[in-house]
Amino acid sequence: MATYLLRRLLLGMLTLVAITFIVYGLARNMPGTPLTVQMGESDPSRKLNPEDQERMKRIYGLDRPWHEGYLRWLGNVVRGDLGRSFSRKQPVTTLIGERIGPTFLISGTALVLAWLLGVPLGLYASARSGMADERATSLLLYVLYSFPTFVAALFLQIVFSVWLRGTAWELPLFGMSDLPADASWAARAADIARHAILPVTCQTYVSLAYDSRFIKANMEEAVRQDYIRTARAKGAGPGRVLFHHAFRNTLIPLVTLLGLSLPGLIGGSVIIEQIFTWPGMGRLFFESIRERDYPTIMGLTLMFSVLTLIGQLLADLLYCLVDPRVSVE
Amino acid sequence: MTDSQSRHPSRGFQSRSSQSRGFWAEAWARFRRKPLAMAALAFVTLLAAVALLAPAIAGTKPVLCRYKGRIYAPCLGYFDRRLEPTIFAKDRFRGTYPRNLKEKDPNSWAIWPLVFQDPHRAVRDNEWPGRPANPAKDEGRPNGINLFGTDQYGVDVFAKMVHGTTIALLVGVVSMGLAGTIGIIVGALGGYFGGWIDMLTSRITEIVMCVPTLVLILAVIAIVEKPTIWKTMAIIGATGWTGIARLTRGEFLRLRQSEFVTAARATGAGPVRIMLRHILPNALAPVLVPITFGIASAILTESSLSFLGFGPPPPAASWGSLLNDARSNLSMWWLVVFPGVAIFLTVLAYNLIGEGLQEVTDPRLREARK
Repeated sequence: MATYLLRRLLLGMLTLVAITFIVYGLARNMPGTPLTVQMGESDPSRKLNPEDQERMKRIYGLDRPWHEGYLRWLGNVVRGDLGRSFSRKQPVTTLIGERIGPTFLISGTALVLAWLLGVPLGLYASARSGMADERATSLLLYVLYSFPTFVAALFLQIVFSVWLRGTAWELPLFGMSDLPADASWAARAADIARHAILPVTCQTYVSLAYDSRFIKANMEEAVRQDYIRTARAKGAGPGRVLFHHAFRNTLIPLVTLLGLSLPGLIGGSVIIEQIFTWPGMGRLFFESIRERDYPTIMGLTLMFSVLTLIGQLLADLLYCLVDPRVSVE
Repeated sequence: MTDSQSRHPSRGFQSRSSQSRGFWAEAWARFRRKPLAMAALAFVTLLAAVALLAPAIAGTKPVLCRYKGRIYAPCLGYFDRRLEPTIFAKDRFRGTYPRNLKEKDPNSWAIWPLVFQDPHRAVRDNEWPGRPANPAKDEGRPNGINLFGTDQYGVDVFAKMVHGTTIALLVGVVSMGLAGTIGIIVGALGGYFGGWIDMLTSRITEIVMCVPTLVLILAVIAIVEKPTIWKTMAIIGATGWTGIARLTRGEFLRLRQSEFVTAARATGAGPVRIMLRHILPNALAPVLVPITFGIASAILTESSLSFLGFGPPPPAASWGSLLNDARSNLSMWWLVVFPGVAIFLTVLAYNLIGEGLQEVTDPRLREARK
C-alpha cells in the first residue's frame, strides 16, 4: 500500500511538472504581455513608453526567456509561493481564496442537488424500465443532457430577467450581490441566494441528467447478474432486490464518478460564471488568460491539476475500499 | 427473423445457409429499427444538405444567371470569394445583383435563392425591387421576410444560420476525424506493444487529459496567427483524443491475446499489418461510439468558444457567435432561440446516433434489449 502510494505520488509529481511546463510555455507565448494587453487595449494614450516597458518587464521578470521564467516559478512554488498577480496586484493565493467561496457555493449546491435528485430518478428509471412513464422520463433526461448550458443560461436569463421583469418572479441577470457591504447579514444572504438560483439551476440540470443516466446504465448491468436472479428466487421483494442487491453493487462506479467531479467542484465552470458574471474561479481563470496574468494562470492550472490527480487517486483508493476484490497492487 | 429475410422468404433460407450477414450489416439492420436514432440520422443528413445548398437557400447572389450571353453561378462566391465570376466585379455590380443584372443586360435572367437575404450584410432598401431595407437595432422581429428576424445591424438571422451550418458540421467531423486518428494511433501503439511504449503513451494521454482544455484551446488560438475556423477545428481535435486513446488501448490490450492474432502472427504478419488488418476492424465498433459523442462535444466546444468571443473571424459566422451577439441584447429573444435550438438539436442528434450505435454494436446491451 505504502509503495503504491509513493509510486502514485512520484508519478503525479512528474505529471504536474509536465502539465505546468506546457501551460507556462503556452501562456508565455501568447501574443502580448500583461503590460501591453492590460493598458494598450482600453486606452491607447496610456500605453507605456518603451523605456518604462523595459523597466517593468525587468521587475516582473519578463525580460528572461520563458523556460528560465518557468524554472523560477517552479522554484517559488516548491517554497510555497505562487507569486503575485500582475493585473490585480495581490498574491495569487489571496485571489484564489477570495474566489473559492463563490464557486463552491454554486458547484457544491449543484452537486448536492444533482445527487439528491439523480439517485432516486435513476433508481426509479431502472425499477420501471421499459414502461411508458420511464421512457418519457429517460427521453426528457436525455434531451436535458444534450441541452448546452450556455443556451439554457441565455433562455433562463431571457425568461426570468427580461420577460418576467417587474413581477415577483424576476431574478437578477448577473452578479452575486446588489446590496452594499454594510447591509445586514440576513439580507445579504437572501440576496446572494436569489442571484445564485439561475447559475445553480444551469449547473444542476446537466449533472442531474448525467448522473441519473449513469445510475440507470449501471443498474441495468447489475440486474442481469446471477445474484439478482438468486435474490428473486429466494423470494426477496422487488424493492429489496433493487436497493439491497442491485444498487449496492453499482456503488463502485458511482464512487469513481464522485472522485472525478472533485476538480469541477473547486474549479467551477468558466461558461456559467462568465454568463452570470459570478466572481468565482472559472471567471478568474478566463480573465487571467485574457489579461495574460501568468502567475494567476499558473496558480489556477496547478490547483486544477492537483485536484484532478487527487480525484483520480481518491477514486482508485475508494474503489479498493468498497470492493475488496480490487487491490491496489 | 430480420426484415429483409421476411420480405424475401425464398431467398432467406439460401442466404442464411451460404453466408451470414456481416457484423456491420447486422448492426445497420438493427440500427434501422430504432426510430429515434434514425430520426437523428435523417436530421444530420438534412443539415448536410442545408450546408451544401446554403447559397441556394439564402443569399443575394443568383444561383444561376445568364449575363451577356454566358451562364454564371455567382452563388459559389459564398463558398469561396475566388469562385465568384470576375466579370461582375469588373462591371461594378458591387455585390448587388437584382437591379444591376437588368440594367446592364436587359436580356439576362437569373434563378434566385429561395430566400433573398445575405448572411454577411443587411439587405438595403429596394435592393430586391419593392422590398424595404432590413430593420436594424432591436426592431427586427421574425416576420415573413426575415424568417428568424435580424440582428442589431440588420443582417438576416436565417441567412446567417443557413450559412453557419457548414461550420457546425465541419467542426464535428474534421476535429473528430483528427482526434480519432491521433487517439487510435496512440491507443493502438500502447495497447499492442505494452511495456515502455505503453508507459509513455499512457503518461502522455494523462498529461493531455489533465491540462485544462480551455487554457489549451485559448492559448493555442492566441498563439496561431490569423485564427481561422480550420485552426480552431485542428485545436479541438488535437486536444480531444484522450478518451478515444484510452478506449482503443483497452481494446487492443484485450484483443492482442486473442487467438486470431496469434494465428495472424503465425502466418508471418508484421505488427503493422496485425494492428491495421486484424485488430482494428474488431476494435472499431466500441471506438466509434466515443467518436460520435465526440462530434457532439466538439460542436459544443466550438459554439461555446464562439460564444465567449473566440470564434472564427467575421464574416464567417457560426451559431455560437450569433449567441454571443445576443448576450448584449437579451430583449432580442430571436437571437437566442433560433441558434440555441439549432445547436441543441445538432448535439442531440449526434448523441442519439452515438447511443444507437452503442446499442446495436455492444453485445451486452443487445442482450438486455431482448
